[in-house]
Amino acid sequence: MADCLRVAMDIPPDSAFACPAAGLARTLAERSGFGQRESYRFQLTVEEFCLCLMELLPAGECLRLAMDAKPSRLRAAFSFKAANLSLAGLNLTAQAQACVEGEPGRDLGLLLAGKAADRFHLEQQGGEAFRLVAEVDRAYPELTPVAMPEEARPPYRLDRSADPARLCQAAALALGAYPARQCPGSFKRPEKFVALVAEGEMAGIVALDAAERTVGLLVWAPCSEQALYFSGPYVFAPQAERAAIARLLTDGFLAAVARDNHVIVLSFRATPDLPAGSFEPLGSLLAGREGDGRDEPVVFRHLREDTGAAVWCAPSLQAFLRQAYEELAMPRDILPVEAPAGRTRRESLLGASLDRHRDLAELRPFLDGQDLAANLTAHVAAIRDKGISRILYYMDLSRPWEAALADDLLRAGFVPRLVLPHGGQSDMVVWQHEPAA
Amino acid sequence: MSQLLDRVPDYVRRFERYVPSRPDAVLMRQYGAPFLHRLNNNENALGPPQLAREAIAAFQPERAAVYPSGDAYDLRQALAARFGKSPDQFLVGNGSCEVIGSVIRAFCAAGEAIVTADKTFAVYEWVAGFSGVEARLVPLAGAALDPAAMLAAVTDKTKIVFVCNPNNPTGSWWNRATLEAFLTALNGRALVVLDEAYREYLDDPGFPDGLGVMDRHDNVLVFRTFSKMYGLAGFRVGYLCGSLEAVDIVRRTHIAYSVNSLGQFAATAALADDAGHIAATRAMVREAGEFLRGVFDKLGLEYVSGAGNFIMVRTPVSDTLLYRRLMQKGVMVRTMTGFRFPNWIRVSLVREPAMVAFADALKKVLDRS
Repeated sequence: MADCLRVAMDIPPDSAFACPAAGLARTLAERSGFGQRESYRFQLTVEEFCLCLMELLPAGECLRLAMDAKPSRLRAAFSFKAANLSLAGLNLTAQAQACVEGEPGRDLGLLLAGKAADRFHLEQQGGEAFRLVAEVDRAYPELTPVAMPEEARPPYRLDRSADPARLCQAAALALGAYPARQCPGSFKRPEKFVALVAEGEMAGIVALDAAERTVGLLVWAPCSEQALYFSGPYVFAPQAERAAIARLLTDGFLAAVARDNHVIVLSFRATPDLPAGSFEPLGSLLAGREGDGRDEPVVFRHLREDTGAAVWCAPSLQAFLRQAYEELAMPRDILPVEAPAGRTRRESLLGASLDRHRDLAELRPFLDGQDLAANLTAHVAAIRDKGISRILYYMDLSRPWEAALADDLLRAGFVPRLVLPHGGQSDMVVWQHEPAA
Repeated sequence: MSQLLDRVPDYVRRFERYVPSRPDAVLMRQYGAPFLHRLNNNENALGPPQLAREAIAAFQPERAAVYPSGDAYDLRQALAARFGKSPDQFLVGNGSCEVIGSVIRAFCAAGEAIVTADKTFAVYEWVAGFSGVEARLVPLAGAALDPAAMLAAVTDKTKIVFVCNPNNPTGSWWNRATLEAFLTALNGRALVVLDEAYREYLDDPGFPDGLGVMDRHDNVLVFRTFSKMYGLAGFRVGYLCGSLEAVDIVRRTHIAYSVNSLGQFAATAALADDAGHIAATRAMVREAGEFLRGVFDKLGLEYVSGAGNFIMVRTPVSDTLLYRRLMQKGVMVRTMTGFRFPNWIRVSLVREPAMVAFADALKKVLDRS
């Protein structure tokens, strides 16, 4: 595990403290070897969030800031209390609103903070308590294409702790041999992939042939406390050898995680080399512009017996959920939740993660609000304007307020496509925007 | 909560708690099954021997108010008489799992290591893991523990080698010559635990008797249990036997009074009346094994069938999917992904009606898939 520098503090609600906090952020970034541009973006993120969040604090409360640096990224986590929190300035679509004359300065600050960071997410921690986490990534060079091995000679073996050079090569080979949508985003910058493995954020196994050539790769990363996402298997060998290498990688992966602290493995990026019968289909997603027109399968398997769960469900989603659980033979207690009535918050907040390279946008609800359906529609339009055709939305069924948003999603043109068992705190429904829906 | 977690050692924080299966009534409701055949834990469908049944029936409720013998005195006397040892060479625990914990605590400090197989009973690896002890896992050679590779895995840090003999879940076992050669080559560099939980299912003269082996090798401890052949799994009674010195060391880290009175009485009685029970159980297991091997042959399924009251079969679909589909039909098996055998299930060998129910359900589920 790579070294990690940390700084934490409680900040009184006085704007005079925002600048020193930002200075610490910059020092943390510089001491951790980040470049001038990333350091400045991190400093800006911390300063603007401090100023905005201080204004929201109830009397007598402090803003708690915890910052840490890993080789691949800088992170600032803000813990705070706020009544009827509204952070609309963080929406992907907020730019135009913030430029309207007379808007309060806080939205402009949020806009700056949201743009300076590479990503953020907001957790509701009960009552008026929230945690907002913002991250700034290190800049890594893009990959240099590498030559595919011309042959593969058995016997094959697995390397569970491949060195960085081998991992870089394997990632580059995967991106050369498979469509970008079937590869993690970090493969485009293999040094970032290597850093994530070193930090324990990702893991991978490499298959080698008798001549120590790299002939395969499979990688995984946690997507929740209970689930792992895997990608692959990627095989770099002639057709006759592919099945054996893919089986070796898949069995090696399952053996590595079998007694791990996760109960399930999932994949949106399983390749056609995945051995038949080892995983269960969950459903499929509509292909994007990069695809060959066929729906993209999503697969999973348990690592141990399913012990059942309870999930929240709006009436409009009930038929879909019942059918999904029936097909999966998965015991679930479905608890009814009604659509929200009399929403007190005017503006909703959606988390948006965009990846043009993989033609993918992912939306998550952070705050409900009266404008949710309109906000979803605005997000879809903004994302499509950026040329991205695959738009997914994740609904965690452990949270009644999230499950209650089904009608808003349907109105905005989203369609429930599949259920990810244990994909969030509980099961997660994946919705996809369908233009004709 | 996060502050609490910050105070926990890293090796505990990383460890995932074990989630046992739910009670039958809950499972039947969850899966909509009208009945449930439990074929997942290798329990003895014949129950305990007759004398043990009588001891259980004779238990007076007033005795529940009195602490049990803190070191299972009478049971140790009975074990000593049965096996020709000193009572002090026996240590009784709340199932073998408790004894595994006691031995690892006694011999291993955090940062040291145990050696065992990668595909074997999981509790050695688990207890080591949450005790800060490294578990060095040696791949099986085929379905069997690999003595040469296990020897090669032993280092200066290794304190214990766990040998599950016969191995759960493959049923493979080391014969006398293999075990003797292994112990000779190890030359006392580590303690060796022979876990003989399933030894009573074997009737082969080539199978080594651990209680005899330990007379020649004082670094050997033998684990046995009343949960399998003796049909007392509900009482959780297991024990170890070793040299006086080794058992004295383990006793220092072992919790006294951990085995309940009723379990001690039943286990003591079971020992006095086991010949017919063992013969009947072996016959049941033999018949069930023959039946299921025939079923698997007809279905074209690969299986591993060795010693013990279980059989392992490779499934053409995910083992965890098969588990759920079989549960809907009232049959509970053990998925083997957690044993690092993905797409295999393990099935207990029990009486005919349950075996027939399993076979029927399996055929239906595979037909559907």
